[in-house]
Parts: sequence; structure tokens; C-alpha cells
Amino acid sequence: MNTPTNTMKWLLHREFWEHKGSMFWAPVIVAALLITLIGGSVFYGVAQHGLATRITINGHVVHTGTLAAAADHLRPAIAKVASGLYLGAAAPLFGILTVVVFFYCLGALYDERRDRSILFWKSLPVSDPMTVLSKVLTAVCVAPMITIALGAAASLILLLVGCAVMALYGINMFGVVLGTPELYLAPLRLLALLPVYVVWALPTIGWLLLVSSWARTKPFLWAVGVPLVALMLVNWVNVVLSRVAGTPLGFAHTMSGIVARMLGGVVPGIWFTFPGVVQGGVPQGPEGLDVGGVFTQSWMSLATSDALLGVIAGAAMIYGAMRMRRWRDEG
Amino acid sequence: MSSVISARNLSKRYGKRTAVDGIDFQIPAGRIVGLIGPNGSGKTTTLKAALGLIPFDGELSVLGLDPRTQRDQLMQDVCFIADVAILPRWLKVKDAIDFVAGVHPRFSRDKAERYLAATKLRPDMKVKEMSKGMIVQLHLALVMAIDAKLLVLDEPTLGLDIIYRKQFYQNLLEDYFDEHKTIVITTHQVEEVEHILTDLMFIRDGKIVLAASMEEIGERYIEVMVSQDKLSAANALQPIDRRTVFGKAVMLFDAGPGGASRQQLAALGETRNPSVADLFVATMKGSYA
Repeated sequence: MNTPTNTMKWLLHREFWEHKGSMFWAPVIVAALLITLIGGSVFYGVAQHGLATRITINGHVVHTGTLAAAADHLRPAIAKVASGLYLGAAAPLFGILTVVVFFYCLGALYDERRDRSILFWKSLPVSDPMTVLSKVLTAVCVAPMITIALGAAASLILLLVGCAVMALYGINMFGVVLGTPELYLAPLRLLALLPVYVVWALPTIGWLLLVSSWARTKPFLWAVGVPLVALMLVNWVNVVLSRVAGTPLGFAHTMSGIVARMLGGVVPGIWFTFPGVVQGGVPQGPEGLDVGGVFTQSWMSLATSDALLGVIAGAAMIYGAMRMRRWRDEG
Repeated sequence: MSSVISARNLSKRYGKRTAVDGIDFQIPAGRIVGLIGPNGSGKTTTLKAALGLIPFDGELSVLGLDPRTQRDQLMQDVCFIADVAILPRWLKVKDAIDFVAGVHPRFSRDKAERYLAATKLRPDMKVKEMSKGMIVQLHLALVMAIDAKLLVLDEPTLGLDIIYRKQFYQNLLEDYFDEHKTIVITTHQVEEVEHILTDLMFIRDGKIVLAASMEEIGERYIEVMVSQDKLSAANALQPIDRRTVFGKAVMLFDAGPGGASRQQLAALGETRNPSVADLFVATMKGSYA
């Protein structure tokens, strides 16, 4: 019963108990709000104005009568809408995820020192590397997986609300929508992007955990202040040097990249904004976001040296946090 | 196993300040040792070193292991309460039990639940809803249900009221301690632990000034209510402490080798064994000045 797997299971439980509010209830409430607001306004709009007698799909004007009849013909378009909606409805949840993971990491090794409960946790046969690892896993796996699950559930409910509204007007879309493979693929795609997220989030998570394990007070100020001040200094030296010597500092540009990755890595999809990582930025299809393209491009981003360097730096900082937790004297 | 903790030339420096200054000591198995000293004397530092919480110099072996390099292994057999009421505020009673049961191979859920049943604590209660005394009850329930070879308690009852304090030590003695276990306690409230201790260690300015079993101390230190006419004879025997109670001089003598004999002291007046508190005050004289 005391195997490492079992210990890890309980450590993850522990993290969830402590952060149930931010990791579970906050996204649940936002998802509920999304459903009420979007679902409610769809209902309200249809009830007030009735269903449009004609809809424009891909530039073709389609009358609702025809729409009902031509459901088969429209299957691919509906599939696109369905998969697009998945990502769309989940977007606010991923915004919350970013904030939650950022502050979770910042407090993960700091709060237990501030309230001295670290002395209780350290009185149990759980090693420091194991504890720190459980916090990394919570940040990069548990929290995103909860968000993906809630996002998929909220999207599904919204989709069913939409179908129900259509059904009220005699257009049965249930069969078509529920028969679309995209519907089931979209959440799986999100889940399959998780490893990409882990890789790009690792430097930020490592940095935040390191500060969290080290700072005596005000971890936020240290975590954000140190990189920003360093960046300002480098930029200032850069300006001075280019004025005086005429040659700008070579690594000023690199420095802003490093700071972006130290602080922004936990934003889902941030890898599209890093220069030189994804060719051509976020892939756009003819009907907006190209979901398949996003998926391939994201995985391709892992083949860059930037990704590898980030993992190495992140792992080194996580190791530093483990050492810090082992030896930091709380007095 | 000969000794549970053995230290040789153990030192710990914080910058220029020496918290523990090259001490040597042995704690045999099956004892309840009181580590007693004023604030800042180095007792907590010594315990932290033994628990592998801080780096140190010198040799220290706990259950045959080095706390610096073998801490993870050591914590299977050692448990400690390092401070009062430090359980995290969000923790629920039932979650605390589940967690410790999940990670500790020597934890008995039955024992913990039996102990908690005698308190006002309920499974759904969170630590933030509890009084300080209740938090300590929960912590003690968790710790007592762990069959550890060594239990370290650092000021375990600080700030608790008398009912909780008495109950704490009573539980410890009745339900927990046996000849295979060793307990090390530090405390300011000497009077409350003296009747449960088997051994005593006084620490002052990072050095151990007295280490003996309670029997040895009973034999060695004698307090005499000196009658008025024998004062000068008593002073000649070099008491280590003098005080006056109801106009009568009370003197503390070290009857160890080289000191006064029992017969000599008995001739001076009524003799008795000093309390640990009196002995402590006499030994620590000057360190508060």
C-alpha cells in the first residue's frame, strides 16, 4: 500500500482537496454561466424573432425548409461548426486555466512554508522530489484535464440546446449532429494536445515553483519582477550601447523571448506566438480556424530546439525546487 | 539496537552565531527524554538536525541512519510534531486520515478513529473550524496511530490550556509509549513533563550542561531546608543554588563525586529531591541575566 504510485495518488488527492475551489468550482461556475448566457440568448432570440427563414452557410443562402430537407448534404459544414463550437465554448475556461495554474504554482511551495504546515507534510514518509512532482503533475495534467472535460461537457450541452431549439421549429438536427465524428474527435484532439502544452508550460512552471520554494515573502513580486527588471536592464544597456558604440547588444531580443517563456508558458496555445516555432502562425482554413492544422502544427512545434531547451531549463528549475524544499530552513 | 540517537561533535552555525556547539549525546531505546533549555539554547536546532530538516556539521546517527542522506528511509520509523497547530486550514478530518493511511505503511486507521471518537472532532470538520486544542488533538490522533520507533515532540502543547495539556501527556503515556518506542520532548513547561520523563538533558548556549536519567538525578541532587543555626556550615559545602522559602533557607546541593555526602547534608536539615524545575533554574543561572 506504500508504493510510489499509491503515494502519488494521495499526493494528487491532497492537491485537489486544497485547490478544489480554483481548479474545479471556478471552471464549473464559468461553464454554467456560459451555458446559461449563450443557451439562454439562443432561446430568447428564437422565441422573440423566430427562426430565420434563411441562413447563409458558406456563402450559399439556404431556406430553412431546404435546410431541413438537405441535412444530409450539409453534413460536412455542420461537422465544422460542431468542432469549432467545441474550441469556442471552451476558450473562456482555458483563460481561467491559465490564471489558476499560474497562481497555483506560485503558491504550491510557498503557502505550506508560510502556514508552517510543511512541518506536518515533512513528518510523513513522502520524499521531497515526490511532493514537488505531484505539484507539477497537478499543474500540467490534473488542472488542464478537468478544464478539457468541463469544456467538452459545456460545449455538448450548448450543442444540444441548439439542436433542441431547431427541433422546436421542426428541424431535427440531433441525428446529424450526433452522427458527426467531429463531435467526438474534438475533445480527443484537445486531450492529444496536452503533451504539447506540458512541454511549453514546463519552463514557466519550473520558474514559478522555484520562486515558490525560495521566496520568504511576496513570491508574485519576485516571480514577475525579477524577469521584468532583468529585461528592462538589458534593454537599457542595449539602447546605451547602440548610441555609444553603434552596435546593439546581441541578446536583447533573446532576453525578451526568455522572459515570455518564463512567464507565459502556461497559456494554452502560446507556442503559436513564439517566433520561429510554428511556420506561418495559427493555421487558418477557408472557414476560419483550421482545427486539424492547429493539431499538426502544435505537434510539429515540439521538434524545435526551443522546445528542447525549455524542457531542460524547466526540469532544472524543478530539480532546484526539490532541493530547496529539502534543505530550506524555516527557522 | 544500542542507541536511537547518537551524536558526536554535532554543530550547527547560522552565519556567525553558533546554535549548537559540538555536542555529544546518546539516547537509548525505550526512553522518554526531556530536552530542556531556554529560548535560543539550541534544542530545536538539535531536533531539526536529527529529523534531517537542516544541514549540520559533525556526526549524527538516528536509528542507524544519517538524517542528511537517508531522510526518506528514516521517516518510515520516525514521526514528529514540530510545532503546535500547524495542520493546513483546508484539511478535513477524514481527508487527513485517508492521506496518512495512504502514504504511511505503519499507520493504523482503527487507532486514529478510536482516538478521535473520544473527542469532539467530526469527520467532515475542517481544521479552520477547530480551536487550537482541537487541532492538536487531531495531530496527536494521527501521530499516535503511527507505530514509529522514535517520536519527537517540539513544544507540543505550547499555548494550550491546562485540560488539553494534561490530556495530551496522559494519552501519550497510556496509549502510545512502550519499551520499543523512544520519545524526545522539548518544552518550557518542565513541571508538566517531569513525571513522565525517564531521562533529562539540559542544554544551554548550544552545549549540553546535564544529561542523566531521572534516577541518577534523584541520587545526585539534594535539596535541603537548612536550619537557621547551620547556615554557615551549609554554605561551606558550596550549594549550587540558594533561595528563601517562608524565611527558611533552601539550598540545592550536588551530591555527586567530589561533592557533599548524603550524611553531611542530612545533618543540615530536612532533605528532599528537588523538582526538575528547581534544578533547571539552578543550572541555567546566568543565562537569562
